[in-house]
Amino acid sequence: MNYPVWYLPSVGGGSLIAIIAIAHVVIAHLAVGGGLFLVLTERKAVKSKNAALLDYVKKHTNFFLLLTMVFGGVSGVGIWFIIALVNPAATSMLIHTFVFGWAVEWVFFIGEIVALLIYYSRFDKMSSRNHMILGWLYFIFAWLSLFVINGILGFMLTPGKWLETANFWHGFFNPGFLPSLIFRTCIAIIFAGVFGLVTASFLKDKELRASVFRYCAKYMYLPVAVLALTGLYYTRVISEEAFLNLFHFNRESSPFINVLVIASFLLFGIGLFTLFRFPRILQKIGAFLLVIISFAWMAGFEYMREIARKPYVLYENMYSNSVRPENNEKISEVGFLKSASWSKIKVVTDQNYIQAGEEIFRIQCMACHTIKNYNGVKSLSDKLTQRGLEAFLTGMGKVNTYMPPFMGTEKEKEALAAYIFEEIQEKSHLRSTEVNPGDFNTEVPDFSNAKDDYVLLVWNDLGMHCISDNEKYFSFLPPANTFNAQLFKRGSKPELIKTGVYITYSPEAEHENPQNHSMFWDYDEAIFGVDLPEGIGLSGKGLTDTMDLQGNMYAAHLFPVTPYRDDKKYNPYPVFTIKAIDQTTGDMLAETKAVAPTSTEMGCRNCHEGGWAWNDVSGMADLTAQNILAVHDRYNNTSLLEDAENGSPALCQSCHADPAVNAQGKDEILNFSAAMHGFHANYLTGMDQEACNLCHPSSVDGNTNCYRGRHSGTGLNCTNCHGRMEDHALGLLAAQKGNEAAERLSRNLNPVFIAKKEDIIPRQPWLMEPDCRSCHTNFSIREDGFKGTSFNMWADGFNSLYRNRTDAHGVMCIACHGSTHAVYGARNKYELQRDNLQPLQYQGLAGTVGTHDNCQVCHKKKMTLNGHHRNMVLRENIVSVVK
Amino acid sequence: MNNYSIPTPDTIPAHWIWFQVLLVFTFVIHLILMNFILGGSLLTVYDMIRGRKEYIASKSIPTLVALTINFGVPPLLFVQVLYGHFFYTSSIIIAVPWILVIPVLIIAYYSAYIYVKKIEKSPGWSKGGLIVSSLMLLCIAFVFVNNSTLAIVPDRWEVYFSNPRGVNLNIGEPTLFPRYIHFIIAAIAVGALGRAIYYHFSGVEEKVKVLNIRRNLRIFAWMTILQVAIGTWFWLAMPKEIWQLYMGGNLYATILMVTGWLLALGILHAGFKGRLLQASVMALLVVITMVLIRDFARQAYLGSFFHPRDLKNVSEWSPLIVFILAFVVGLIAIYYMINLIFKPENQ
Repeated sequence: MNYPVWYLPSVGGGSLIAIIAIAHVVIAHLAVGGGLFLVLTERKAVKSKNAALLDYVKKHTNFFLLLTMVFGGVSGVGIWFIIALVNPAATSMLIHTFVFGWAVEWVFFIGEIVALLIYYSRFDKMSSRNHMILGWLYFIFAWLSLFVINGILGFMLTPGKWLETANFWHGFFNPGFLPSLIFRTCIAIIFAGVFGLVTASFLKDKELRASVFRYCAKYMYLPVAVLALTGLYYTRVISEEAFLNLFHFNRESSPFINVLVIASFLLFGIGLFTLFRFPRILQKIGAFLLVIISFAWMAGFEYMREIARKPYVLYENMYSNSVRPENNEKISEVGFLKSASWSKIKVVTDQNYIQAGEEIFRIQCMACHTIKNYNGVKSLSDKLTQRGLEAFLTGMGKVNTYMPPFMGTEKEKEALAAYIFEEIQEKSHLRSTEVNPGDFNTEVPDFSNAKDDYVLLVWNDLGMHCISDNEKYFSFLPPANTFNAQLFKRGSKPELIKTGVYITYSPEAEHENPQNHSMFWDYDEAIFGVDLPEGIGLSGKGLTDTMDLQGNMYAAHLFPVTPYRDDKKYNPYPVFTIKAIDQTTGDMLAETKAVAPTSTEMGCRNCHEGGWAWNDVSGMADLTAQNILAVHDRYNNTSLLEDAENGSPALCQSCHADPAVNAQGKDEILNFSAAMHGFHANYLTGMDQEACNLCHPSSVDGNTNCYRGRHSGTGLNCTNCHGRMEDHALGLLAAQKGNEAAERLSRNLNPVFIAKKEDIIPRQPWLMEPDCRSCHTNFSIREDGFKGTSFNMWADGFNSLYRNRTDAHGVMCIACHGSTHAVYGARNKYELQRDNLQPLQYQGLAGTVGTHDNCQVCHKKKMTLNGHHRNMVLRENIVSVVK
Repeated sequence: MNNYSIPTPDTIPAHWIWFQVLLVFTFVIHLILMNFILGGSLLTVYDMIRGRKEYIASKSIPTLVALTINFGVPPLLFVQVLYGHFFYTSSIIIAVPWILVIPVLIIAYYSAYIYVKKIEKSPGWSKGGLIVSSLMLLCIAFVFVNNSTLAIVPDRWEVYFSNPRGVNLNIGEPTLFPRYIHFIIAAIAVGALGRAIYYHFSGVEEKVKVLNIRRNLRIFAWMTILQVAIGTWFWLAMPKEIWQLYMGGNLYATILMVTGWLLALGILHAGFKGRLLQASVMALLVVITMVLIRDFARQAYLGSFFHPRDLKNVSEWSPLIVFILAFVVGLIAIYYMINLIFKPENQ
């Protein structure tokens, strides 16, 4: 922000640092360990009076000098150059904090050079004792150089107390200092052995070569145990978050962990050849191979160390993009471009949208990302839509902390997402077609107040059932709808009929063949462990079937409705005809119609690239499903995508418990609702009902518009009952307190409708739902334009849920008021009165059954007492009905 | 309004004068060593073209490279401490040539070794090595001059926006070429002096020794004459308000400039008279003077933007003390090591 950014869209500054640093670091370690090797080998040669060995040492010194002093020395300066170019702010910080550390290191560096130059030039020209003193002095200076640089390098990953005190010594002798020093000393000795082999492989004397090889092997193998132990110790001193990012969350580290592991096996496996007598050519090849492996090994280790530090360049003090965490808030308020010292564009406008996005990308993202190559944004973001990118930016640094938070205004965020989507991805938005509902015209069944003796009330329990709709990849909601029904015998004291009848249901035409429109039956065994006949749902019910008595109502569970019709139309509101039949006589006692709402308009594709599966209208496309699984696999180290592609798709709830499908899940894993809302809330913060609409089919502009009940016309939205996304998620996560994932998901969420997180009541999904009485106190109608919330005011107990609650006589609230989300007085997008068929049938008014003094529907006469709940009668009928 | 602003510097852990002194002190050493290798290399190439065999002194080039790089580290460190926010910015603007300094330096270094190692066995390779090495060093010097001039003129930083990929040089800067040539001529002058000193201490035949000392001192003097002209060009290429500072505009600057002129006269005298010691002392003094003049010029350029005294000092004494101790121990160790060579049992 403070400095201009060296624009390297293809190579990336990080890669340049890596190339120079890895080359340097191998040689720099060799410069330390090799010093010890030289003087000890000389000592051995002198003691054993082995002139040939001494000659080897001399030759090796020449090689060593040319490699370490020339290449090592200059590439060391190269690191300074390159880090200052790629991350000047961090370099400046390191220089200014440790200037005297660097100065001390320079003193050791010059000591090293003088010692080595004399050691080399005075070989055979000095007494061996004095010559070896020079050798020891070289090694001491070289190791002291490592000592100093190790302190500064360790500081970047584990600054420890320095973060509070800013004291030089706290930074220098940081928690990582000791393990890193021992670790690097071991590496130095190992590399001394490896490079010793190179010159030894040129020795002509067979015996000498073999003995030097065995000698070098000691350098390679003796430090291994200490190296491994300090390596483990090292992983313990880094912060827990860094550890998790390195080994769990940040997939960027995987290839480097693999490189390190494989290189370790190769180095110490192939290295064993040194113990055997092979022809010289093989020994040469072996020696050079080990050198190459050493570079790979170093690359693996150094990359892992770098990645462990992400998203910081200096842990918890400065992000990789040079912004300090404490400035985040101010930058987001003022605007990133305005805060950046080197930006041509200061404000995002409609005219410069994409250019502004590019500018933000350059300054904020390019410290770590290229466009197409290493850590390239093109491949990293190709699973997201533009909306998904915006969400991703919102959630950055929250769930997974290996990236810093996005810093900037909402407009800047949108501009960046647009730039990535349009310019880097070179994509355009996938089509979404609005369904023309056409001419659905359902006939309202007959009802004669004078002649009919029965009233049959039927409803769907939730008002909408969604289908995840791509069982080839996964399922969390199969085609499975539910009808509940109550049959009343009319009279001054109506009777709830529970015996002597049976109740049938059957769909309207064009909806009879769900098996032709769903792959559910292809994967029922893989996902649900049952092989169902086509057209039959998970509880054994078909689309034309009977209902079963269940308590004080009849019910048919999990019958497989789809919104796709045989005539290729889409209608998420299929109408069923339900009949009550006298068991004895077979006479039809009552007949009515109800919708079995079912939608495949799951909004996953809004963010997860892939589009709709069914005619640009609805359904989850394969690509969308693949992209979702890829994200799950990436974040959770699962292999769901691969499993699915191998023919074993999973039921999400096989791990994530969910009362909705009666799944126990796994104890240590979040329940399904908590996981879904908890995770996504981090990416969809600061939104009203738009957050709900992104996933659920509740948008008025969508092809379902499931939130269609009376409340929708009063200006109330999802959040008035359920709370904002953050509230909703926090409630669910609070119920799993102690779970590591719940802590991670909730730590960056702040409640909107409740002042403090601690005040949020832990909530079990589906079992705890909003209580109607939080607004409708004493069953009164709110007339004050109430815009509050019933969030955190849950119905007390399962039986008090709107869908389960009854009055004192066993009449269910939902029977008269209509399905959840489609409370009578509903307006259906496909046919205005489609959800109001029963009130229209029984009373000619599309409102609550019995409203406007229509007590006669059941009672056959007008009533004067509040029989079912307070505030029923003796009041002004102010609620309009749908006409 | 500019599209950019000068970056905010970090705090420093000691009074700025510490770093200023260390910068000047270590830069003088670096400059002299650099002049020895660059000037020495160019003179050897010249000798080679003229068919003269001048191998003796130039054999020390690789060692000098090692020491030059080593003594380049502290001024690079201290310049970052004091002027990092200017230096980093200009480096980024010319990032590509700037980072190429590293591989080019490695090539120069290895080429110098090839030159020395192959003198006897394959003179062709040897000559090639020296020529490559010299050319590489000239390139490095050019990039350094570009960076130094760009760092002190923030008004020229706008060029970043036309090429943020770092493929820039500071070609439009009026002082660029006079400054570059000024440095090259200085390098040849000091390089010649270096060779004279080398001959003085070498064990060659007395006649050859005297001849070479005289010859090199003459080169030193002639280069100094040339330098007067180049230096004047460089001086007057600076903005008027700056070069006038050296002509009475500022007492300190004027004293430095006059000292420089007087020392140049002294060099001419010593050079043409063949007085090595006098020439060496004059050269050392003139390098110091020039470094101070250069430093003053930097201050003058940056005058309206920044002065190191503006840096916030958050003193921490113990690291400074540790550095001084390490420095003393280092010096003792180096003295001890060099002394070892001359011990009788090691001869």
